[in-house]
Amino acid sequence: MKNLQFHYHMEILFSQPVHSHIYTLKCLPVTTDTQQIKACEYTIYPAGKVQESYDSFGNRMLYGTEKGEHTRFQVDVTGRAVTGICDMDRQKEKTDISVYKYQTPLTKPQERIRRLFMDCRRQADFSKMPLEEKVRFYMKTVQQHLTYHKGITTIYTTAEESLALGKGVCQDYAHVMLSLCREEKIPARYVVGMLMGEGESHAWVEVFDGAKWRGYDPTNNLEVGDLHIKISHGRDYSDCSINRGVFTGQAKQSQSIWAEVSEIQTEQAMGGIRQDDYDGGKGKPSGQ
Amino acid sequence: MKDFELTKQSETVNELLARYGVKFGIYKNNEFREQLFPFDTIPRVIGKEEFCYLEKGLKQRVTALNCFIRDIYSEKKIIKDKVVPEEFVYLSSGYLAACDGVMPPKGIYTHIAGIDLVQGKNKEWYILEDNLRVPSGASYPMIAREICRRSSPDTFESNHIEDNRDYTKLLRTMMDYSNTGGHTVILTPGRYNAAYFEHSYFAEKTGAHLATGSELTVEDDYLYFIDYSGRKEKVGAVYRRISDEYLDPMTFYEESVIGIPNIYDVYRKGHVALINAPGNGVADDKGIYYFVPKMIRYYLGEEAILQNAPTYLPFYEEDMKYVLEHFDELVLKDVAEAGGYGVVFANKMTAQEKEDFKKLLKKEPRRFIAQEVIDFMDIDILEDGIRTPRKADLRAFVLMAEEPMVWKSGLTRFSRNPDSFIVNSSQGGGFKDTWVLSQ
Repeated sequence: MKNLQFHYHMEILFSQPVHSHIYTLKCLPVTTDTQQIKACEYTIYPAGKVQESYDSFGNRMLYGTEKGEHTRFQVDVTGRAVTGICDMDRQKEKTDISVYKYQTPLTKPQERIRRLFMDCRRQADFSKMPLEEKVRFYMKTVQQHLTYHKGITTIYTTAEESLALGKGVCQDYAHVMLSLCREEKIPARYVVGMLMGEGESHAWVEVFDGAKWRGYDPTNNLEVGDLHIKISHGRDYSDCSINRGVFTGQAKQSQSIWAEVSEIQTEQAMGGIRQDDYDGGKGKPSGQ
Repeated sequence: MKDFELTKQSETVNELLARYGVKFGIYKNNEFREQLFPFDTIPRVIGKEEFCYLEKGLKQRVTALNCFIRDIYSEKKIIKDKVVPEEFVYLSSGYLAACDGVMPPKGIYTHIAGIDLVQGKNKEWYILEDNLRVPSGASYPMIAREICRRSSPDTFESNHIEDNRDYTKLLRTMMDYSNTGGHTVILTPGRYNAAYFEHSYFAEKTGAHLATGSELTVEDDYLYFIDYSGRKEKVGAVYRRISDEYLDPMTFYEESVIGIPNIYDVYRKGHVALINAPGNGVADDKGIYYFVPKMIRYYLGEEAILQNAPTYLPFYEEDMKYVLEHFDELVLKDVAEAGGYGVVFANKMTAQEKEDFKKLLKKEPRRFIAQEVIDFMDIDILEDGIRTPRKADLRAFVLMAEEPMVWKSGLTRFSRNPDSFIVNSSQGGGFKDTWVLSQ
């Protein structure tokens, strides 16, 4: 169990002024069976009226419209969380589990994933393995078959495509792992969150073990304990995109995301954990 | 029915329909073409008693479908009780996870249902399909009737026919019942849509605003219509003629430019009615069709009044066995397709095609349903002034307000090709008026 503080920062710069900018954000962590959000504040620039709601997966949403012209859109979320809570046997969160059993367009397996899945099943004693061990095996397999490489895949890359490339980012690792679990009819969902240290947002997987959801981070071949702060979950990336927006104006946009998670009392450096590199201080608010 | 002179007016009526813009747009090879929807002056006639029976059956069916959709997006009892296997729900293209836990105003999901029926040679009616997403076509028999009355008033004086022009009244009653407070809007993707004629016709007849997505805007959790002078009017009901995926780029298909950003959030908070309700396509899936008689039993404790065409689900082993053994007698339908696409008659396949299809069927059993070919009752059409029999179906319209209401008419579509069973307008069929006798 850890007491963590976090700061998530997202900024979009427009090359020309835009207006009538409508956005929906899923960027606020919520209390779950394994994490408790002690404090959470957000600021949105330009500061307009913001509505709140929850989507059908239970994620907290912010949405609104900025009518006036602007060249910058910025979101900051700060707060404190207790992570790694594991004193309960069964989940309390009320969720529909079945919806996570089925493949989506992003996780749908083709030949390569099917072959990888069959290879896994051919492992000695695979059929006798308890679910947790199988899932750990899938996680390890994914990590072995993908090399972390930024800028090759996009948000539209399917699990099959990234496996064919053998490369990807945390989102791709998660999609391939979801695809394998779902081939086995294990309910598995996509998770967006933040990881201890500095970097971008992170993505991993949660698997329902029959009683509760357990987190697995295939990018790091790591079971989720108290180093991760979860923001949202869904069937795949498209259910969890942190920011969706439309605006009017002929502008190019560049987005930068930055997240920092640290322990409140004793700050420890996390060695050996891979994250997206923090991109040169661009967009870091002053005074941080 | 007395002989009437209406059939002599065929050319005049079709000319008038063309002048009023009764057209059907289709996309072929990426090109948009509008074509006339040929009208045949010989009506389909349904007797009073027979229609009463249809009406009862249709109300029962749509009531059960509405219960099913409400259940799927809330408690899912029908899945827990193992009446419908969950994969048929979650893998259906019409199932939208974003609708889970969201209750539409008045709990209505099936505001307008277009139920396709055929009459067999044995006079028995069979349900072919339940169209719940955005069923179109009611405007065609309405305007055709209007023109026919003008061309041949005597015909309507000497025959006792239910007036079908009250469809707009039913539409208005249904829209007002669901309205959460505010204006009623008909949302169209624009004039390049196949059914644009219908959108503008309904707006004119019901007094609703005809709007495109850019004329509607979300503010502080309410939906507003911006009129030509820039004035904002609150909207309480949207009869949307665009599909779920395009409705809101913030929740569904992100690249949609014809939708309204954040309209789904307004709906989620109960501040606007969307007609029909998003996600209701889960019940018009061809795979789910098989389960409708079971739904009627499950939710209403009644036996289905109107029968399905005998249907087999290769997903079930014994059905698969039957399908493979009786392959040549069946028609196979891809559950994900609509508009007459993805329908194949096994007896029209070559030996090689049959082998390939059977392989595909074994590989993806959930993707298909198989049905007995129903020997439709033919209906006469006029071809070069001569009565010629053709295959025809009937789309009945059921509207849901406090109670389901069945329109005393319907769209009768026929196949112009003498060898074809497919009557869809997108496949070049024509239409007829449907008379329901009042005595």
